Amino acid sequence: MHGIERLLIEFLLNFATAEQINIFFGDPRNTALLIGALVAFATALCGVFLVLRKMAMTADAISHTVLFGIVAAFLAMLWLGQEPSLSSPLLLLGAAAAGVGTVLLTELIQRSNLVKGDTALGLAFPFLFALAVILVTRYIPNVHLDADSVMVGEIGVAWANTNSHCLANCEPVTITADDPRATVARTCVNCAAEGISPRSPRAAFEETCGNCGTFSAAEAWQRRLISAPPQLVFVPRALLPLGSVSLLNLLFVLFFYKELKLATFDAGLAAAFGFKPALLSYALMILVSLTAVAAFDAVGSILVVAFFIIPAAAAYLLTDRLWLMFVIAPLLGIFAAFTGYEVARTWDISISAAMVIMLFACFSLIWVLSPRYGLLAGLVRRWRQHRQFAEQLLLGHLYNHQRTAEADAECARETLHQHLNWSPRKTAHYLARLQAGRLVQLEAAQVRLTLRGEAVVQAFRTELLAH
Amino acid sequence: MTDQTYALEINDLTVAYQNKPVLWDIDLHVPSGVLMAIVGPNGAGKSTLIKAALGLIPRASGDVRFFGKPLRQARRLIGYVPQRGSVDWDFPTTVQDVVMMGLYGRLGWLRRPGKAEREAAFHALDQVGMANFAGRQISQLSGGQQQRVFLARALVQAADLYFMDEPFAAVDAVTERAIVSLLHTLREQGKTVIVVHHDLQTVTEYFDWVTLLNVEVIGSGATALTFTEENVRRTYGGRIGALPPALNGSTPQREGVYVA
Amino acid sequence: MLPEMRQMLPEDRRVWRFIGVVALLVALGIPLSVALGVQYDYTLTNVALGGALLGVLCGMTGTFAMLRGQSLLGDALSHAALPGVALAFLLVGREPFALLVGAAATGWLGAQLVGTLTNTTRLKQDAAMGIVLASFFAIGVALLSYIQGRADASQAGLDKFIFGQAAAIVQRDVLMLAAACVLVGATLFAFWKEFKLLTFDPDFARANGYPTRRLNLILSSLIVAVIVLGLQLAGVILMVGLLIAPAAAARQWTRRLEQMIVLAVILGAFAGGSGAVLSAVERGLPTGPMMIVVACSLVLVALLFAPERGVLWQLWQRRTAHQLTKEG
Ligand SMILES: Nc1ncnc2c1ncn2[C@@H]1O[C@H](COP(=O)(O)OP(=O)(O)OP(=O)(O)O)[C@@H](O)[C@H]1O
Ligand SMILES: [Mg+2]
Repeated sequence: MHGIERLLIEFLLNFATAEQINIFFGDPRNTALLIGALVAFATALCGVFLVLRKMAMTADAISHTVLFGIVAAFLAMLWLGQEPSLSSPLLLLGAAAAGVGTVLLTELIQRSNLVKGDTALGLAFPFLFALAVILVTRYIPNVHLDADSVMVGEIGVAWANTNSHCLANCEPVTITADDPRATVARTCVNCAAEGISPRSPRAAFEETCGNCGTFSAAEAWQRRLISAPPQLVFVPRALLPLGSVSLLNLLFVLFFYKELKLATFDAGLAAAFGFKPALLSYALMILVSLTAVAAFDAVGSILVVAFFIIPAAAAYLLTDRLWLMFVIAPLLGIFAAFTGYEVARTWDISISAAMVIMLFACFSLIWVLSPRYGLLAGLVRRWRQHRQFAEQLLLGHLYNHQRTAEADAECARETLHQHLNWSPRKTAHYLARLQAGRLVQLEAAQVRLTLRGEAVVQAFRTELLAH
Repeated sequence: MTDQTYALEINDLTVAYQNKPVLWDIDLHVPSGVLMAIVGPNGAGKSTLIKAALGLIPRASGDVRFFGKPLRQARRLIGYVPQRGSVDWDFPTTVQDVVMMGLYGRLGWLRRPGKAEREAAFHALDQVGMANFAGRQISQLSGGQQQRVFLARALVQAADLYFMDEPFAAVDAVTERAIVSLLHTLREQGKTVIVVHHDLQTVTEYFDWVTLLNVEVIGSGATALTFTEENVRRTYGGRIGALPPALNGSTPQREGVYVA
Repeated sequence: MLPEMRQMLPEDRRVWRFIGVVALLVALGIPLSVALGVQYDYTLTNVALGGALLGVLCGMTGTFAMLRGQSLLGDALSHAALPGVALAFLLVGREPFALLVGAAATGWLGAQLVGTLTNTTRLKQDAAMGIVLASFFAIGVALLSYIQGRADASQAGLDKFIFGQAAAIVQRDVLMLAAACVLVGATLFAFWKEFKLLTFDPDFARANGYPTRRLNLILSSLIVAVIVLGLQLAGVILMVGLLIAPAAAARQWTRRLEQMIVLAVILGAFAGGSGAVLSAVERGLPTGPMMIVVACSLVLVALLFAPERGVLWQLWQRRTAHQLTKEG
C-alpha cells in the first residue's frame, strides 16, 4: 500500500513541488472535494448496473454487511497474533468476502423457494449486521463502534487523517556515545538508595549518553540533530483506496462493457454466448463491496447507498443509452459532492449528508423536468393525448352511429353527452374544437361528420385495428 | 327480470391504457340466460372488457349496466373468474378457504364464515370436481386445479351473471367437459355466463351466444347467426390459418386454429 | 375460529397442537431463566416485556408485510423516520410522543414517495426504496447535525436511533407498546377476512367492491406504527429483520394464515423477550442485535426442519423417491 502511494507521489511531483502538494491536501476543502468526487465517480459506475439489474437494495444490504467482513477480518488478525490495523489488505478481503457472502446467503435462501426474494435479503443483512455489532461490542470493546462514523462518516476531517512520505533528508539518525552530537548526562547512582541529595559529597556519579538511540528523520529534526529538515509529503489516507477502486471500476466497465450490457438486458442470451452472467454478477458484487469499504470511511454506509443509487437512477430518467448513463451518473455525483460541500459549510451541517441532499435535489429536479421521462413532460404528453383521444372518441362515436337507425338519438347535439357519459361542458368544448377544424358540422341540431372528418376516422381506425 | 332488461348492457364503452385505446366505442347487449363466448385474438381486449365492466380499470367513456342497474347496486349479482390469477400461490391457505372468500362479500363486515359457509364452499368444490382437494394447500395444486378453485369461488357467490376469463386454459379434456356441463347447468338455472374462449372449434358446440371482439365489437348475437366465417375473418384480421370445421365444411380436426 | 375447530382437518389439528407446544415452551422459558439465575429487576422486567411486546407487534404486522411482498419496505420506512424524529425535536423538544408522531409522519411520507416514484417513473421498487431510504436518512442526519450545532441540545443522539437503546425503556414505553398490541390486534381481528382477501387476491377484493384503497391504507399505517415503535428498541438497521423474521419462520410450519400469525406472534415474543434477557445476562451484548440473532436462528431452524417444506424434508423426500425408482 505504502509503496503504491509513494509511486503516486512521485508522479504528482512531476507537476508540483512537495510544498504545493502539502498545501493542497492540507486544505480541508480540497481534500473533501477530491474525496467526494472519487466516491461519486467510483460508486456511480457500479450504480448504473445496480439500478438496471434491480439490485439497488442489494447494494444497501452490502454496504451494511461489509462491516461484518471488516470485524471478522479484524478478529482473525487478533487471533493470528498480528497487529490488527485498519488499513490492512486483509480487511478489504474480509469486506469483499462479506459482500459476496451476503449475496450468496440471499440466493441460498431464495433457492429454497421457502421465502420470496426480498424477504431473503431482509433476513440476510440484518442478521450479518447484528452479528457484526455483537462481535464488536463483545470482543473489541475498546474500539468504540461510533454510529456517526459507521453511518455518516467524516469527510470533513479527511485532510487530517494522513500518511506521510519522506522525500529528502530521510535517513534516520543514530547517535552513539562517541558522536560529537551526543550529550553527556550525569546521573547519581546511589542517591535514591541512600536517600541523599546529589549535592551531598557522598553522592557517586556515572556519566551516560543523554540522547543516544535511533531517531527518525522527523524526530532528529525536532531535536535539532540535523541541520536541514526532512522533506515530508502528507496525503490523505482515504485517497489511495478510493483512487484504486475508481480505477478498478473504470477498468471493469471498460473491459466488460459489452458483456455487462448483454448480461444486464438479457441474461439468458448472455449465458448462451458463454459470458457467464453469474460470474460477472459476482464480480460486480465484489466491486460494490470494495467500493463500499473504501467509501465507508469518507461518507458512511447509508450515504454510500445514496451515491450508488441516486445518480444512476437520475441518469436512467434522462437517457436510454447505456454509455450516456455512465457519463451522466458520475458527473451528477461529482456536482452534488461539490455543491453539497458548500451547502454544508454555509449551514454548518454534516457534509456528507448535505452532499446526499444535493443529490436528492438534483434527482428531484430531473424527475420533474426530464424531457422524456419527467413528470412535467408526462403531464403535457398525457394532456395532449387526452385531447386527441377525446376528439377521436367523439368522431368515432359519430362515425359508428350516423348512418344507423338510432342516429337521431345518438348524434343529437343536445343529448350527445349522455351517450358518451361526458359532462355537457366537455362535450361542447370538443364539439367546438372539431367544428373549428371542419371535421364535424351541425345540421338541424344533429352533429354530422364532414367528409374530412370521415377520412380522419377511417385513417385512425385502420391504424388502431392494425395494432 | 323482464325480457327487456339485459343481463349486461354496455353502451359506447371506450377503454384506454395511457390514452392508447384498447376498446373502442363498444356497444354490447347480452340477454339474460345465455351462455356467451367472447372470441378474439390475443390482445383484442377481452380481459380488458371484463375488467372495465367490473370497474377494475377506469373507462374513458361509456356506461355499463347489469340487469338494468349500475355496478354499485349489482355487485352481489356478479361472479368473476380472473384469467389465471396473479395471486401468490404460496399464500398460506387451503383450497376450501379460498373458495370461502367468494362468500366474504355476502357476510359483510365483522362477521366470520361459519358452518353454512364451509358447506357452501364444499358444495361448490364438488361441482367442479375438486371436493377431494378441500383441505389441500393451494401451493400443491396444478394449473388446471387452480383454475377450478377460482371457478368454485365464483360459483359459491351464487351470482346471476358470471364472467369467466379463459376457464379452459390449462385444463385437460375431461375437466373441460365437466366445466362445460357445469356451465350448461348454470344456464338451465337461468343464469347468464360470459366466457372468454380461445378454441374456435368448440364455440358452436358449447355456446348459444357469441361476441366477436377485436378492439371493436365485430359481431354479437346468437351463435348460429353471428359466428360466421366472414365475421371470424374480420375479427382475426386475415391472420387465421385454419377455420373451424363448422365454418369451412372440412372434417373436424382437433389441431385447431393457428393464429399468428 | 371456534366453529372451524369442530371439524378440523387432521393436518390442521397437528399444526395447532404444535403451536400450543411452542407456546408452552416459550412460557416455560420464564421460570427456566429464573431458575438459571436471571434476576428480573425493574429494568430487566421492562426491557424483557418491551422486547416481547415488540416481538408480538412484529409478528402480527410482519406476517402481512411479508405476504404482500413488502419486506424491504420496512427498511426504507425505518430510515425515513429519522428526519421526523429530528424535526419533532426541533419543534417541540424531547417529548417522546411527539418524536413518535414525527417519525411516523416522515416514515409514512417515505412509503408514499416510494409508491409515487414507482408509479410515475420507470424506476423499479428497489431503486425507489434505495433513493427514499438514503435521502430521507441524509435529511435526518443534516437536521441532527444542525441541532447538535446549536447550543441548547445534543440529546437526540444518532447512536440511539441507529442501534436502538433497549436499556432506556421505562414503564411508560412498555405501556405504550401494550396499548399498541391491543390496538393492532383489535384492528386485525375486526378486519381479518378483508385483510386476508386483500393480501391474497387484491383484484378479487376490488371486483367484490371492497374499499381496497382504504384497507391498504389501514394496513400500511399499522406497519408504519409498529416500525416507529420498534426503532427505540431495535434500531434503524435491524428493525426490518425483526419485522419479518418471525413471520418468515412461522410461515414454514403452518398452512393457514390464522396459524401463521399466531405462531409468528409467539415466535416474535420469544425472540424479543429472550434477546433482551440474554443481553442482560451477558454484559456487553447489545439488545437489538441479540433479538435479531435469536429471530434469525428461528428462521434457520424453520427453513431446515419444517415438515413438508423444510430443506431437510425436501432432501429426504428426494431420497425416498430416488430409492423407490431404484427398487421399482
Ligand atoms: N396494464 C396494462 N397497461 C398497458 N397496456 C395493457 C395493460 N393490460 C393490457 N394492455 C394491453 O391492452 C391490450 C388488450 O389486453 P387484454 O389483456 O385485454 O387482451 P386479451 O384479449 O385478454 O388477450 P389474451 O387473449 O392474451 O388474454 C393488449 O394490447 C395489451 O398489451
Ligand atoms: Mg386476456
